[in-house]
Amino acid sequence: MDINSKLNRRDFVAKSAWGATASLTLPGFLQQTLFNLDARAQSVPSNGGDGPILLLLEMAGGNDTLNTVIPYGNSIYNTARSSLRLNETHGFHKLTDKNGPSVTGNDEALALHPNLTYFDTLWKDGDLGIINGVGYPNPNLSHFSSYDYWHSAKPNTMSKDGWIGRYFDNQCDGCGSTSGIYINGRPTLAFRSSNGLSPTATFKNPGYFNWRDKSETGREQPLDKMYRKLIGLDHPTDDGISTTDTTLAYVQRAAHSAMVSTANVQAAIEEGGTLLTNSEWPTGNGLANNLKVIAQLIKGKSDTSIYYARQGGYDTHNNQVDVNLGPLAGRHFNLLDDLNGGLKAFIDEMKAQGIWDRVVILTFSEFGRKVIQNGSSGTDHGAAESLFVMGGQVNGNNYYGLYPDLAADARVKRNSMDFNVDFRTVYRTLLEKWMGVPPSAMPNIFPSQPVNFDPLAFL
Amino acid sequence: MLDPLPQESWSRRAAIHLLNRAGFGGSPDEQEALFRLGEESGIEAAVDSLLETSEDWSSQPWPDWALRDKDPNGDFYDPDGNTEASNSNSNFRNQGIRRREFTRWYFASLKEGQPLAAKLLKFFTDHFAIDSAAIGQYYRFIGLLRYFEILRKHAAGNVAGQDAPFEGDERLVPDGHYGNFRTMVNHVSWSIAMVRTLDLYVSTNRSINENFGRELLELFTLGVGDTYTNDNDDYTEEDVGTAAEAFTGRKIYNYRYPNNTNNGPYPAAVWQNNGLRDKSAKSFFGNVTMPGGADIVDGDDIIELIFNSTRCAKHLSWKLWRYFASPNPSKELVAALALRFRDTHDYEIRPFLKDIFLSQEFYDDSVINSQVKDAGDILTILEKQLEAPLVSKDAIEDVMQQLGYEILFPPSIAGWPEPDGEGNTWLSTGSMVFRMNMPSIWSHRNFDILTNNRVRNSLDEYPEVDWNSIAPRELRTIENFPLLIDALTKRFLPNKTLRKSQIRTLYQRYSAISEQLDSLEGVKELIRLLLALPEYQLQ
Repeated sequence: MDINSKLNRRDFVAKSAWGATASLTLPGFLQQTLFNLDARAQSVPSNGGDGPILLLLEMAGGNDTLNTVIPYGNSIYNTARSSLRLNETHGFHKLTDKNGPSVTGNDEALALHPNLTYFDTLWKDGDLGIINGVGYPNPNLSHFSSYDYWHSAKPNTMSKDGWIGRYFDNQCDGCGSTSGIYINGRPTLAFRSSNGLSPTATFKNPGYFNWRDKSETGREQPLDKMYRKLIGLDHPTDDGISTTDTTLAYVQRAAHSAMVSTANVQAAIEEGGTLLTNSEWPTGNGLANNLKVIAQLIKGKSDTSIYYARQGGYDTHNNQVDVNLGPLAGRHFNLLDDLNGGLKAFIDEMKAQGIWDRVVILTFSEFGRKVIQNGSSGTDHGAAESLFVMGGQVNGNNYYGLYPDLAADARVKRNSMDFNVDFRTVYRTLLEKWMGVPPSAMPNIFPSQPVNFDPLAFL
Repeated sequence: MLDPLPQESWSRRAAIHLLNRAGFGGSPDEQEALFRLGEESGIEAAVDSLLETSEDWSSQPWPDWALRDKDPNGDFYDPDGNTEASNSNSNFRNQGIRRREFTRWYFASLKEGQPLAAKLLKFFTDHFAIDSAAIGQYYRFIGLLRYFEILRKHAAGNVAGQDAPFEGDERLVPDGHYGNFRTMVNHVSWSIAMVRTLDLYVSTNRSINENFGRELLELFTLGVGDTYTNDNDDYTEEDVGTAAEAFTGRKIYNYRYPNNTNNGPYPAAVWQNNGLRDKSAKSFFGNVTMPGGADIVDGDDIIELIFNSTRCAKHLSWKLWRYFASPNPSKELVAALALRFRDTHDYEIRPFLKDIFLSQEFYDDSVINSQVKDAGDILTILEKQLEAPLVSKDAIEDVMQQLGYEILFPPSIAGWPEPDGEGNTWLSTGSMVFRMNMPSIWSHRNFDILTNNRVRNSLDEYPEVDWNSIAPRELRTIENFPLLIDALTKRFLPNKTLRKSQIRTLYQRYSAISEQLDSLEGVKELIRLLLALPEYQLQ
């Protein structure tokens, strides 16, 4: 495909000497200006306007993938999940064309949760890959440590930077300030750069991401111009960022970034206009609303290569399935319905825009859940999980990794599944085979590497 | 370490810093008064004046409906005086109004309460976050009211008395008194709100739910990782399991409605059902018995063992230092603090805070202005600086949604991410934009930043500020600009200096607007711009 040949032609520069120093002191827009004068700017990867797009979708709280990619023929599953188990009568989607390779050597017959109807379609179309048994050594069962590990890609350490942040640090000097966009109220560690200058923006609603003042009292110049002047953004020599007070420098950079990225986002939203599939989007679905904003930014050719969305609520300690109504009701059922509906609308729009071949989507959660259900029609925190990877160019209709052994003596951390694919190899695969990052950059982006770090074949 | 600040080091800068951290700052007059007190009567007198535990919160009564005899969930309530019959969706309407009135009560407590008690209330609300949705509609308001009663009594210190909280099992809630962290963890563990939020009510010996056991260790007491200690004394997954076993059988009994006697006496409370308690032999966190040799039996024993540990003392000292002082205390400092907190003060919060406020370390240059204001700070401080009345309940909900601080709906059970200075994760680009825009609601009635295609009753929502008090007329002439900017900086940006280029820009702007319109518009513009500066985000 055209896009891949383009990617392969890219000759990514390592951090250039003056690029590195420039990035420490100059605001993003100035860097960009300077880099545009430089021929090397041609090789900078942030060109979401027509380049590859990666959408990371975080299912926060710990998704119970045993009830998402269901080993319905496994007697251990059926015993451990006496009231939570799903079977044929619930209308789940059997992946009849092939069974999932398993750690035990006996392939698992697998089915998708009844609400994942569109996932079933994508699987049949060859646009969905399933990565089973994903995790990392010595798994942590705390939400908050696990978030940090998945976001930093440095398990079992306290990290100050995230894997996307380090990717931008290493490959993206001089990128525009919206190379990564997270539709959320709070930022993610994944985007955090080691030098505090990640070219990313995080906001919840583009309607509020603006310098709004319609009153314009006595105003010969707009408010944002005044702000820019006061924070030193347009000053030719003094960028106004403190060199002595790191906390002050942090908020000053945050203000600079806010000024520049609001302009970019508003321009893209305006350019994008109404979505082609506008009337077909679900309502009352928070995830879908966020994906809709992303679809608008993509349509408006936002200079963004990595989008990030989050669906919370997967911490299903209780009422994962409805006590009275059974597995076709309850919290997990509703969450997967929103997930399915949101992604269907998003992918339909990508197809309508004719760019489904430019998009790859990865879903992940901070951990899976325990094999054995708890006493409250729910499940407690576990370890390994299954991931979904989707896209027009994904080698779909295929399994990657092995389904974990559910047997008691194969479990880790009090009844959790053990991993066989390290999540960092999934990240590496995306950066190397999709974003075109050369293998030589991997030691910088992944200072902590698993034993087996070979890219997977889903791309 | 933790030696008292020498008297000769006391300064206006120190006084302002203390006001910022032990409360929500002070007006220029209050700054001066605290400085004088420290000059004339000594630093300890100044610190004591902020620690006085006179606040019993009687000045901040609950909303009307919460004080009635009837259960706040079941009783129809409409502040407009509509009767139930006239409203087809009374339940929904009730809950929404009550939630907003409750939130407003919370912010009134922050703004009008004794500053240190208010600051602690905010700390506890984050440290012991509970989720209104998880409490569920049947126990929502009775659970919330009692829970915040516990939080604010502990925040006020032992002036609130020594009575056990009335929602726990009177036979079992251990002795203790308000203002002690260990007692507080106990009270929280017996509260309806927490028992519902972290699933204790369904955890029994037959089917253990480990949600509470895990978060008790990770969030409320011991913490994880090696940020604040090199002791390598993390708890294990087995300890999580043991804690979960020990807290089994805590059930909510009795009835929510006072007029219903069929289900036992009102009000509802958390009781121990010993038949549902796990009775297996337990070892926990390196202990096979209690210190006296008795068996480890239940949740209260687990809490006692936790608080005997060094790790708990270090984690809580670290967290309190971060909240009151600076984001990155050294491990040596944390160790010194932990010794004070556990061994000297037996987890009494205010005496421990007094040690902090007197210490040299607290006044270090690396501590002053090292915090990014959190969302609760932002609104409370702004209103205090503007001498503005608290905004309406609807306005609070609007603003807090934008700031990402809805107190009944924490983003996770870990509460709200803390502002931790350099490289923090608190300020998203979006909230930075809102924080820069927000002051213009007061200065310019700029409701555009809150409402998409919605018109609000603006004057009722945000009472007008008395600009003459903030910027007296005599300061508003162009020649007096240096005096004006000095007065405004003292009020809004204490302990901070503006750059010359900023003052120049502000001057040009002020003189232009004053000439085109009038000096009042000039003042409002000046304040809007000052409050949009990145410097304003720090304290």
